[in-house]
Amino acid sequence: MSPSSSSDILIRKLQTISDIREAEIAVLKSIPIQEKDFSANHDLVREGDHPVYSFVVLDGLIGSTKYTSEGKRQITSFFVGGDIPDLHGLHLSVMDCNFSTLTPARVGFMRHDVLRSICDQHPRIATAFWRSTLIDAAMYREWVTNVGRREAYTRMAHILCELIFRLRAVGRIQDHIADIPITQAALGDALGLSTVHVNRMLQELRREGLIATTGSRMHAIDWPGLTHAGDFDTTYLHQKNPAD
Amino acid sequence: MARFFFDTGDRDLVLQDEIGVECAGLEEVRRVGFEGLIDLTRDALKGVDGQKLFVEVRDENGDKVLRLSLSLQIKLMR
Repeated sequence: MSPSSSSDILIRKLQTISDIREAEIAVLKSIPIQEKDFSANHDLVREGDHPVYSFVVLDGLIGSTKYTSEGKRQITSFFVGGDIPDLHGLHLSVMDCNFSTLTPARVGFMRHDVLRSICDQHPRIATAFWRSTLIDAAMYREWVTNVGRREAYTRMAHILCELIFRLRAVGRIQDHIADIPITQAALGDALGLSTVHVNRMLQELRREGLIATTGSRMHAIDWPGLTHAGDFDTTYLHQKNPAD
Repeated sequence: MARFFFDTGDRDLVLQDEIGVECAGLEEVRRVGFEGLIDLTRDALKGVDGQKLFVEVRDENGDKVLRLSLSLQIKLMR
């Protein structure tokens, strides 16, 4: 089900958001990718770091996180297979947030100097990377709106819709069933909600017949109903050929 | 660490917590319950005089451990 090589995972994602052709695909395949496995809750990059690599998510779920001076964590976005969460590090030398594994994850590191010289020589790839960071920014805008202005129930439904839609877009899942083994505490940090209220909202979505859960498996049994409940419009994800 | 279940609601509807939260002790149960009550208030308080909201905590045996509740009073002064 999941593409075989790390290059394939990267290419598949870029194809969903940009017009890369055979020539560019060959170049992307030539990028050396150093794969590494991590357990959950590992900081891959920390605020203040000067990274010389960017990483592509190969498996699992990554969160961009920020901490308040009181030590409260806000997860500001999720990243799934194919995403390059810290691609902006190519141009912004000091990292302004953390990237942490929220589940066990496999990521592939790509050297900045390699990516830079590829971008210099292949404008279509530079454009695809640019689009990727622009879409990341669009997601951050959506999340600010979600956390700041939507009610908890809508907020929870929205984040589940986004995760399922994105996992489908890159072929990680075929249907509306996703294995999302993240803790309720992490969901709470992404939604700005207490753990107790996260449980209550999941319970309410179940009661309304929108989702069914078994352990960490989340089944959106009424996808149109869930997108309606979540005030979810896919425009901000800027997919070329969005699957519904 | 033990798992506690935080049922939340008002007079009309109680939602049973089927997932639970791992807490290190009663101090943490109280803090977690209080944070839950704040969110519940933000979400479910309707501006109706006399409305009551609560969080009631069970342990893994189903024994009640703690109850946090509040009620709204609205009184016209003129």
